[in-house]
Amino acid sequence: MSDSGAGMVSWVLNGDPVESPAGMTILEAAKAHGAELPHFCYHPGLSIAGNCRICLVETNRSPKPAISCSERISDGLEVQTHSEKAVEAREGVMEFQLINHPLDCPVCDKAGECTLQDYSFDHGPDESRFVEKKNIRHTKDLGPTIKIWGNRCIVCTRCIRFCDEISGTGELCVVARGDRSVVDVFPGIPIDNPLAGNVVDICPVGALISKDFMFQSRVWNNEHTETVCGGCARGCNVTVETNEGFVKRLMPRENTDVNDWWMCDFGRYGWRYAHDDRRVSVPRRGAEAVETELEAHRDLGELVRGAWGGSKKVAIVVDPFLTCEEAHLVGRVAAGTGATVGGWLPPSGDELTFPGKFKISGEKCPNRRGVEAVLGQEVFGSQAKAVESMLNSGGVDLVIVFAGFPNADCPDALASAVGKATARVAFTLFDGAWSEAADLVLPSASVFEKEGTYVNEDGRLQRVRSKDRPGDAQLAQPGLHSASISSPWVTSELVALQRALVHVGDAERSLSAAGVFRQLADSNEHFKGQSHRGIPATGVPLGGLAPAGVGEGSES
Amino acid sequence: MSFEPILTKYRHEKDSHTIDFYRGHGGYEQAKKAIHDWAPDDLIEEVKKSNLRGRGGAGFPTGVKWSFVPKQTDKPKYLAVNADESEPGTFKDRVIMETDPHLLLEGIMISCWAVGINTAYIYIRGEMVHGYNQLVSACKEAYAAGFLGKGIFGSDFELDVTVHRGAGAYICGEETGMLTSLEGERGQPKLKPPFPAIEGLFGCPTVVNNVETLANLPFILEKGADHFRSIGPEKSPGPKLFCVSGHVEKPGTYELPMGVNLLTLINEHCGGVWKGRKLKAVIPGGSSAHVLHADECDVNMDIESLAAGGSMLGSAGVIVMDETTDMVDALLNIMKFYHHESCGQCTPCREGTGWLEKIVHRLHQGRGRKEDLDVVFDVCDRMIGKTICVLADAAAFPAMSFIDKFRDEFLAKCTNSDRSTAQATSGAGGVNV
Ligand SMILES: Cc1cc2nc3c(=O)[nH]c(=O)nc-3n(C[C@H](O)[C@H](O)[C@H](O)COP(=O)(O)O)c2cc1C
Ligand code: SF4
Ligand code: SF4
Ligand code: SF4
Ligand code: FES
Repeated sequence: MSDSGAGMVSWVLNGDPVESPAGMTILEAAKAHGAELPHFCYHPGLSIAGNCRICLVETNRSPKPAISCSERISDGLEVQTHSEKAVEAREGVMEFQLINHPLDCPVCDKAGECTLQDYSFDHGPDESRFVEKKNIRHTKDLGPTIKIWGNRCIVCTRCIRFCDEISGTGELCVVARGDRSVVDVFPGIPIDNPLAGNVVDICPVGALISKDFMFQSRVWNNEHTETVCGGCARGCNVTVETNEGFVKRLMPRENTDVNDWWMCDFGRYGWRYAHDDRRVSVPRRGAEAVETELEAHRDLGELVRGAWGGSKKVAIVVDPFLTCEEAHLVGRVAAGTGATVGGWLPPSGDELTFPGKFKISGEKCPNRRGVEAVLGQEVFGSQAKAVESMLNSGGVDLVIVFAGFPNADCPDALASAVGKATARVAFTLFDGAWSEAADLVLPSASVFEKEGTYVNEDGRLQRVRSKDRPGDAQLAQPGLHSASISSPWVTSELVALQRALVHVGDAERSLSAAGVFRQLADSNEHFKGQSHRGIPATGVPLGGLAPAGVGEGSES
Repeated sequence: MSFEPILTKYRHEKDSHTIDFYRGHGGYEQAKKAIHDWAPDDLIEEVKKSNLRGRGGAGFPTGVKWSFVPKQTDKPKYLAVNADESEPGTFKDRVIMETDPHLLLEGIMISCWAVGINTAYIYIRGEMVHGYNQLVSACKEAYAAGFLGKGIFGSDFELDVTVHRGAGAYICGEETGMLTSLEGERGQPKLKPPFPAIEGLFGCPTVVNNVETLANLPFILEKGADHFRSIGPEKSPGPKLFCVSGHVEKPGTYELPMGVNLLTLINEHCGGVWKGRKLKAVIPGGSSAHVLHADECDVNMDIESLAAGGSMLGSAGVIVMDETTDMVDALLNIMKFYHHESCGQCTPCREGTGWLEKIVHRLHQGRGRKEDLDVVFDVCDRMIGKTICVLADAAAFPAMSFIDKFRDEFLAKCTNSDRSTAQATSGAGGVNV
């Protein structure tokens, strides 16, 4: 066998000599060599419990099978994952797991993504030898968002370790002993912490159930979109699951540079606004709906054309929910019209850092840093002040306001300032003082309807994706309100701004978000060399941006 | 053979539990000698030489265990005295604690001096209220006499002893289960390694020893390791407490040299099988041990001989069964115990102990099926050697040996062939609401 390099261990996996970095567990090292070993209680983000025993393998260390999630590799170790002994050990564990399990997959929300189901298929018996009565354990609420179906619990303690180690809140425990063991909360202390939803994700079975998702859809019918959360500047990597165009749930996506395996409940359950009936979904002239979206975009184009070349006094107010691509298009409008661009940020909240290092940002918007990278460090600082006083001093011919805030109101002062301009355009999610003051109201897209990129608080460039790619779909079908086609989605600012630029004659045709990003990468130092395709699934640190907090707006 | 009890010499004397009595009979002289005259390392060597082996069940050499504790460490070291004594058929540690608690305290002082420990916890089974009271007053007396606390015997050695009551869980007798419980957590075993000697109580090096183990130390120091080794067999020497229960004329705790013959123990010391009946079976080492058929009982009660005889010395809880014993009933009793006491973290033990009880329960009701016995063996196979602690094995051993050695009695219960009948009438479901 070859000499192990420094810190490397030579061992044998199913007869093949392999090398792995010292200190790894058999399970991790085997995975790195392409052999996935089954596991219930092991989770890469939690301490090792070693209780489920499904990861048993045969080794040359001892006649007893070893649990691969806890035993570490060493020189000369020989591991058999599929020997008779290993297979028999796993089959034994699977049989035990199933004897008291209710096997109620048809009504279980976890079905389709349940580890017990999967392993049962791979390692389980096809017939039960258990003819006794099954045990009954409690079904109850554990907190405002979570229920437990105790009969399904396999007592892997993942959820308990999460609350002990990651959220640091310790609400969960095992009560009773032996096969009566089940997860519970302490009397009068429900599980109610900002990270609680994660315990449902990591429950390998359908014991912990999210009330938000309960009976909402079968998971195999859901379509998956890998994107980031728009709830705060952390930019947690998430998968949005949709079914027939409706969001069903958000699940965290592993990214050890941002959110590990977790997300917060604010982000997780913060999608309902996207399907709120009160959303502005149809463009309006004042109070009157515009026949087609295209017509509304032509109106916008007309206003921009009137101001093209710097003949008019133009102000643009941006929001930090715009993608980098949309900010780039705003920049082009501003360049053509000589507009002054400022922006406003939603009120900040508390920054929370948990014992497991997970962080919720105090900045309750996803792309302040991206918009700054495109439109200037001071866009939410001194430029914001400049725009406000410009509006207040009167004589502004055209103002365009972006108000894509799901949960915040535009400051009154700004709304009244907007009202003083001659022509007023507002992109908005919901009606408010600024849209009532506007003579052209256009829908803002929610983060679930956007295609493009965001830059998180650490300066990490990440992809925002939409299931229905409005950036593409609506480009192909211009004349229609997006809300009236099969999906409930609205057309994003990306589309509206490009149509306006085409109308003005500044662009030949509308591009996809990737195309707009290419323009941005060509013209902006920070984005140089980047492309949508080149951005890894977990994002990439953006060049020239300081890690965190810098560019916090110059005022105060 | 004339053997003078050593550990239980004074158990029937009035006031044997008081410090005055204890000192009046040479008590605390050995601890004093240890602290004044023995270098800790030499003391560990002496205990190794004595070949004293743990009396808690596993029989690990005590001196060797002590030598695993790191000498150089910036962490505190602890002694955790295992006084949880919950193995069915076992009642020896309580005799020491109730009648001679200072003997235990002196043993604790000697071991703490040898290993360099300043804090000891005695984890006593919660139900043993009398033993607890005796220990607490013994500690008070020892503190008042200056044997515990600071500056013991004029040296700069300090030792604090705390008595902690368990809450009635067998699993808290397993050493890591006991440590988790002491830490204030749910009492359940931890993965090993790390072993307690390296990372035990509160993550610090910890010696775990049984009460009886420690009670041997003053005698070893008094008479020397060689003398100790001359009692009983070379490989597991010393005086030993045997707890005899069940169908004998005189059940009780007997102190005899290690290696006494089981039949001698029953017939000569315990007055034989009761009511003139014949012997049917004996569990020699607590309920976790393989049962011995009457034909196998001519065996010496020491670690090696019992292992060779297909069972184990374990906790030396000797349970004697006469010819009238219903072995299915006896096994059901044992299965109920393990089902009740499994902590439930490991899948094979959590589910296996319950399954075994349910099957045996059904057999007991006469509703067994022929295939049930094979299922029992399979379940046991799937439990043994696959869990965090050995409670799973401890549950499987009696199940296998009872059926193996008394198969006819079990087969007689296996007349049912209808799966649905079996299901409808088994009643041992552990319903938890
Ligand atoms: C399930 C289980 C229960 C145990 N109960 C006890 C007990 O009650 N008392 C005891 O001293 N050892 C008990 N042990 C053994 C301890 O784990 C440990 O080996 C012993 O306390 C070490 O002390 P010794 O070396 O002095 O024997 C138990 C072990 C197991 C697996
Ligand atoms: S509720 Fe789920 S995660 Fe928690 S212990 Fe049970 S099976 Fe494991
Ligand atoms: S921490 Fe921020 S980005 Fe992450 S899930 Fe919560 S709101 Fe979304
Ligand atoms: S073997 Fe049984 S008692 Fe021991 S740790 Fe596992 S579940 Fe608990
Ligand atoms: S994954 Fe190894 S014991 Fe659970």
